[in-house]
Amino acid sequence: MVAETKSNWTLSGAHTARLWLNRLAPLLGLLLVIAIFAILIGSPERYLSLKNLRTVLSQTVIVAIGAIGMTIVIISGGIDLSVGSAIALTGVISALAINAGWPVTEALAAGILVGGIVGLANGLAITRLKVVPFIATLGMLGVARGIAKGIAGSQTVNIPDTWANDLLLTVPKHDWMLVAPGVWIAAALALLAAVILRRTVFGRRVFALGSNEAAARACGIATDRLKLYIYSLAGLLFGLAGVMQMSRLRQGDPTVAAGLELDIIAAVVIGGGSLSGGEGTILGSMIGALIMAFLRNGCQQVGWPNYIQEIIIGALIVIAVALDRWRSSRTAVG
Amino acid sequence: MRKIISLLVLSVAIAGVSCNRSASRNTKKLTIAVIPKGTSHEFWKSIHAGSIKAARELSSAAMEVDVIWKGPLREDDREQQIQVVEGFTAQNVNGIVLAPLDDRALARPVEEAKTAGVPTVIIDSALQSNAIVSFVATDNRKGGMLAADRLGQLLEGKGKVILLRYAEGSASTQEREDGFLQEMKQKYPDVQLISTDQYAGATRDTAKRASENLLNRFGEDVQGIFCPNESTTAGMLSALQDSGKAGKVMFVGFDSSQMFIDAMRAKQLHGIVVQNPFNMGYLGVRTMFDSLQGKPVEKRIDTGVTMITLDNLDGAEMQALLHPPLDQYLK
Repeated sequence: MVAETKSNWTLSGAHTARLWLNRLAPLLGLLLVIAIFAILIGSPERYLSLKNLRTVLSQTVIVAIGAIGMTIVIISGGIDLSVGSAIALTGVISALAINAGWPVTEALAAGILVGGIVGLANGLAITRLKVVPFIATLGMLGVARGIAKGIAGSQTVNIPDTWANDLLLTVPKHDWMLVAPGVWIAAALALLAAVILRRTVFGRRVFALGSNEAAARACGIATDRLKLYIYSLAGLLFGLAGVMQMSRLRQGDPTVAAGLELDIIAAVVIGGGSLSGGEGTILGSMIGALIMAFLRNGCQQVGWPNYIQEIIIGALIVIAVALDRWRSSRTAVG
Repeated sequence: MRKIISLLVLSVAIAGVSCNRSASRNTKKLTIAVIPKGTSHEFWKSIHAGSIKAARELSSAAMEVDVIWKGPLREDDREQQIQVVEGFTAQNVNGIVLAPLDDRALARPVEEAKTAGVPTVIIDSALQSNAIVSFVATDNRKGGMLAADRLGQLLEGKGKVILLRYAEGSASTQEREDGFLQEMKQKYPDVQLISTDQYAGATRDTAKRASENLLNRFGEDVQGIFCPNESTTAGMLSALQDSGKAGKVMFVGFDSSQMFIDAMRAKQLHGIVVQNPFNMGYLGVRTMFDSLQGKPVEKRIDTGVTMITLDNLDGAEMQALLHPPLDQYLK
């Protein structure tokens, strides 16, 4: 840690510039995607209209909130495959709570809390049972999905009209909001998470854990407890994503978000996160999520069929990581 | 860095070449988006073909009608279907024809589309919303009544009949079951309904198990059977075949498949009620078009149900229903 700080001080101007270029690379990618589709569609004013931007931003919220949690987990050297199931479970819990007559705020809080409990269970399996994160959360993927279907009676749970349904309206109820309330919530959380990761002891420990777990432990970090915090925190965020999903569907749907974990992991990876840990930024992950949302929206507006979309997103993940490798190898040499 | 830039320029160029479809538009253009529940099943392909037929008929020198066909990225995923509706709303298509995956979850995006000036015609399954132009779908109750009539005639108005229900909470099959029971009780009072409360579950496998249980219990008495959809009919058919009762019991099913046609020729199945998805796609787009032209349209449009039996199976009309002209419209 000390050595790293020192080398930061001695960076030359060129180094700093390159460092910033690396950070900005995902952003350039996003601008490029937007530019390409604006040209392809033939009417940039429609693609970049407030109406379309509102739509894309609302569609990004669930992946974005999930990606905040996933970024923290991935930086710490872990992975969480259970996020899609957690979203379904927490949405069902909130919907059932609203139907049971709970005040809406408490019902939503219950959903978020259950997300935290799922995360805690993941953390316990990883630290106490010594199961690697990939397997522990793969197991939870099945368990949480099964519980969601069980408590929902294998059916969707419809909810009455409350303010919870307005969280992700593409056109917000109040004009001054400009975009859906959920978009503001996601943006605020992203900012908060970025500050926590960069500026707090907790954040530095997460990076240390992901860079070299043995060294982190040798430095006196209680790594097991830290992992519990990380997975629980991510779980709370996944719970919030589940609440957002319920708001969009106006129902708790135990089958929703199957496979969403891959979208969320892709967002983090496109944004520069490394699956071997120690690397990743919240801003990058948010941009990764936006890139995929703009791609999806753009492909639809150009009129491409679904399979082309899937091919493009798949190729993009590999290209993004390849570029990242190439850049970091150059940085290391230069 | 220069390498990257040249690569990117190249990719833009390729993408640009591969997309020169938005050329020349001197005629007025009407774009109608058709959104199915999925894209791989034969049923949806028929709807696709029907919608293209409507677009071709409606296109004229003064007006070009363009149908965009797009299903959810993951089949049967509500969130993905919502995103498709929202995408078309933002794109400002002239109208949307939608087969909603859920009667509640799709209500919000459809209402938002209406607010944004994009009207929606619903096909196939109902949507709980007043914001729609029309609901164009099979009259399922009528389908059930057709089945009751066929079975009543086959049994000459008397005998013991089993209804194997599909699954709890499925609105379309419930209507078929209700229509069947109502017609049977009214028109054939001497027919005895010995079991009407068993559910087959969602798959062929669960349907077969439920059928076997029913046949074990009522196999000696039963003279007529009705099943309200594809999986229940298939499950019951194979249970009948396994137990050697196929052909000895009058059996009416719902929906079509090659297995059913073969069974019909072997006189093991005595009638199937079929829907008309091709017509559903066709009428969906036509209704949207009429509404956009300012013509009044019916709030509920029936796309037709037909009873197919061994007698009419080989007629041209029935063959067109069983094998819609997909190739003619889907390249």
